[in-house]
Amino acid sequence: MLTSLYVEGKSWFHRVPVRAKLIALVIVSLLLFATKSLTLLLPAFLLCGSLYLSLGMTLREAISRVGFIFFTILVLALVNLFLLPVPDVAALILRLTSLVLFAAAVTATTTIGAFMDEITILMKPFERLGLLRAADVSLALGLVLRFVPDIFARYQAIREAHRARGLPVRPLTIVGPLIILTLKDADTIAAAIDARGFRRQ
Amino acid sequence: MNTRDLVLVALFAAIVIVLGLIPPITLGFIPVPITAQSMGVMLAGCIIGAKRGALAFLLFILLVAIGLPVLSGGRGGLAVFAGPSGGFILGWAVAAFVTGLIAERFVHPANSEGRQFAGFFLASVIGGIVVLYAIGVPWLSAVTGTPLLAAATGSLVFIPGDLLKAAIAALAARAVLAGYPLLPVRA
Repeated sequence: MLTSLYVEGKSWFHRVPVRAKLIALVIVSLLLFATKSLTLLLPAFLLCGSLYLSLGMTLREAISRVGFIFFTILVLALVNLFLLPVPDVAALILRLTSLVLFAAAVTATTTIGAFMDEITILMKPFERLGLLRAADVSLALGLVLRFVPDIFARYQAIREAHRARGLPVRPLTIVGPLIILTLKDADTIAAAIDARGFRRQ
Repeated sequence: MNTRDLVLVALFAAIVIVLGLIPPITLGFIPVPITAQSMGVMLAGCIIGAKRGALAFLLFILLVAIGLPVLSGGRGGLAVFAGPSGGFILGWAVAAFVTGLIAERFVHPANSEGRQFAGFFLASVIGGIVVLYAIGVPWLSAVTGTPLLAAATGSLVFIPGDLLKAAIAALAARAVLAGYPLLPVRA
């Protein structure tokens, strides 16, 4: 149900370490926001676009991943056309689309495991201050991934129950029971975690 | 934070993901589809309180960032934060926190039904609409160059839908408070 947005592949960008990619993303966004010149932004857009398309996705898949964001950018650009000079609007579109394409390229070439390793390192200072525990974050992530299919099955069961009684399926009547039934499990799950001593408490 | 709070946070993040899988409902009189997911901010604050609600959304944001398609419509990944509405996604955690703070102050299990509903509705409107837009709109304006006033006027289109969501969230939160109360501050 929750398949990662990672794309299998052997492109050079797949082999770049996660940390380098994330630092590059920050630098690229700073550089893109520092300039308004179309002669710099157009090549940047073409570079990010060709990087994104070189990752081994079909064109259709590549477009469907960023299509929604591009749609929002275009709508805002249309509004901007009435308020700002045309070269400015062109610069804004190029800058945002380049950034979105680069970010999508990082997501497509990084596995969840690699991200998690990096997050664990980023959390070290907080852990030392006693604010949170890296192990808790991984445990919480694991719990979410484990329980989404169960909760979705519960949603479908509630919906079927509505249909069987001839009731209209409405968010209002579904959300309440869904939340109560799910959160009622929390005690059992917490007891199971503590019984196994995962958190050493 | 004890194990139960940790589990509640994780389960609520999972509920928000499932809300994103529910097909959106389009109403005749407003052009914006009602997705159950954006109601999650109000629900999280009103049902599990400020601290746990905010943590549930931080966890959700982390899932988006590491490339899981958990946003409604199967969206996700770092590109979402780079796009125009990145501020709204990051603002969800703050919005859930403020919603929770207000709900914890104004709603008690001993209150009358109407007062509980009013408290949850107020918390949802201030946290889930006022605070969220106060973060999302200036962000959008800064990123896209759209003048702030135009961006703010444009977002007014979404307000009727959001008020409807606040009402649904308040009713659902009241139902949960009656059936299985979690709001009383334990975290």
